[in-house]
Amino acid sequence: MRDVVAAEWCKLRSIRSTFAVLSVAAGCAVLTWLIAFQAARAFDGLSPARRADLPLRPIQELGPWIAGLCLGILGVLAATSEYRSGTIRASLVAVPRRGRLVAAKAVVVAAVALAAGEAVTLAAVIGTRLAIGGQPFTDQTGSLCQDLPAFAVEGTSVAVFALLGLALGLLLRSAAGAITIMVFLWHIVPLLAFHLPAPWDARTGSVLPGALATQAAGLDADDSIYGDLLAPPVAAAAMAAYALLPLCLAALLFARRDA
Amino acid sequence: MIEIRELTKRYGGTVAVDGLSFEVRPGAVTGFLGPNGAGKSTTMRVLLGLDAATSGEALVNGRRYVELRRPMREVGALLDAGAVHGGRTAFDHLRWLARSNGIGTRRVAEVLERVGLAGVARKRAGGFSLGMRQRLGIAAALLGDPGVLLFDEPVNGLDPDGVRWIRGLMRGFAAEGRTVLVSSHLMSEMELTADRLVVIGRGRLIADTSVRELADRFGRGVVVRSPRPAELTGVLAAAGGSVEAAADGALTVTGLDVADIGEHAAARGIPLYEVRPRGASLEEAYMRLTGDGAEFGAVAP
Repeated sequence: MRDVVAAEWCKLRSIRSTFAVLSVAAGCAVLTWLIAFQAARAFDGLSPARRADLPLRPIQELGPWIAGLCLGILGVLAATSEYRSGTIRASLVAVPRRGRLVAAKAVVVAAVALAAGEAVTLAAVIGTRLAIGGQPFTDQTGSLCQDLPAFAVEGTSVAVFALLGLALGLLLRSAAGAITIMVFLWHIVPLLAFHLPAPWDARTGSVLPGALATQAAGLDADDSIYGDLLAPPVAAAAMAAYALLPLCLAALLFARRDA
Repeated sequence: MIEIRELTKRYGGTVAVDGLSFEVRPGAVTGFLGPNGAGKSTTMRVLLGLDAATSGEALVNGRRYVELRRPMREVGALLDAGAVHGGRTAFDHLRWLARSNGIGTRRVAEVLERVGLAGVARKRAGGFSLGMRQRLGIAAALLGDPGVLLFDEPVNGLDPDGVRWIRGLMRGFAAEGRTVLVSSHLMSEMELTADRLVVIGRGRLIADTSVRELADRFGRGVVVRSPRPAELTGVLAAAGGSVEAAADGALTVTGLDVADIGEHAAARGIPLYEVRPRGASLEEAYMRLTGDGAEFGAVAP
């Protein structure tokens, strides 16, 4: 198994799309700094009443949010690039035990996504704090150490999206289809759910993959399009389910289908 | 050693391989022949565990491929030379393959040297010609120094130099005592490369023979034309030959040579218009064998 994981790691870092996707994720962290800098300048000219309505947290959350899509696409490509190039047959000739191949891919994709997710999230949080230069945003009054654990939980959502992407890639074997479904789950479905009549908007909005990390961290949804009806342990379990159930289904089908 | 036993593979309603059985022994190059669509690639894919057999089994060294722990150390396969990620360098492509089977990086450099790609090891495979990809595929097959080698249409798209190189390589592997199975739809190529031939058509076994036996079976005989074929047939049969009549009136005689036939005919005063030893090539033999087995036969106008 160690050999197979090492081989998958070799594969992932020897193609350019991996670095393209990671660069975009890193770029979005920088983007949050710029937006925070802009927000801080706007903050200056606001009345105290308006200031209370301008939180910094939504800007910080852009980090893990965009990284989730980027690494989700990385997960998709980890599977579909093999089908597109035909290397899937070379992979299966080298590693004929298919469950093992899927497990190795999942380990590598999850590890990279977790590392990238946490890096982007922490960079967004710390960077935006520095960018506002001590402006008293209402949601930034606590110390960084108090806020970080919640953000670290949000960073794990990136790995959930990556594993979801890997499962979709294995199931559909086509990047176009799998990425379309990824984007739907990531943003289109939440937008649609937001417009459902109450109480279904909050109910649906609470169980979507993008809503779970905030709930698992024990935070409110505030003004976001998501709901916050789940208790933290339930939300954490739902995250694990999003990451693993589609992947198990994909692994089952992958083991049965002709390559 | 490869054993195919009563192998059947159906894709939906289409039967690709139908009750196929044969063995491939070490120390020889075995040509796996058949027209396009005969089931050669399907057989190889089932053998490598890529496709699941509908019934029957395909064994390598007595085991199913999926049971091999480090399969590349036992079996080297060249399936589809195009199956390389274009963005990866030749070296990286071989390195991940090697890693998956616990093979060291030094071996990667060795096989690249052996197939003549050492100079382009750090170039992306997307820019490789078909011949270079074919060499890269062969390098991958050699990584684990396996005792069993499978090549699916290895000379497709190669220039004459490349074809000769592969031919020499395969003969060399067989001489080292390895098991070599090479599929092809070109009899002319197998005539030069293979010792044994497994010929299939429409998924069924047509012939499992040596190249020499096949040449003897189809290549011998004398073609005779005469205005009195019935009388000549009687005379030659009495002299110990066996005679077959073709639709155009020509007789194919086996068991007698040109001189015998001439003398027997002269003794009875039977005129002969043509007496010639039949020089059927293996190509013709193959065409006759697979004539009914071709999946997509063209109809003459």
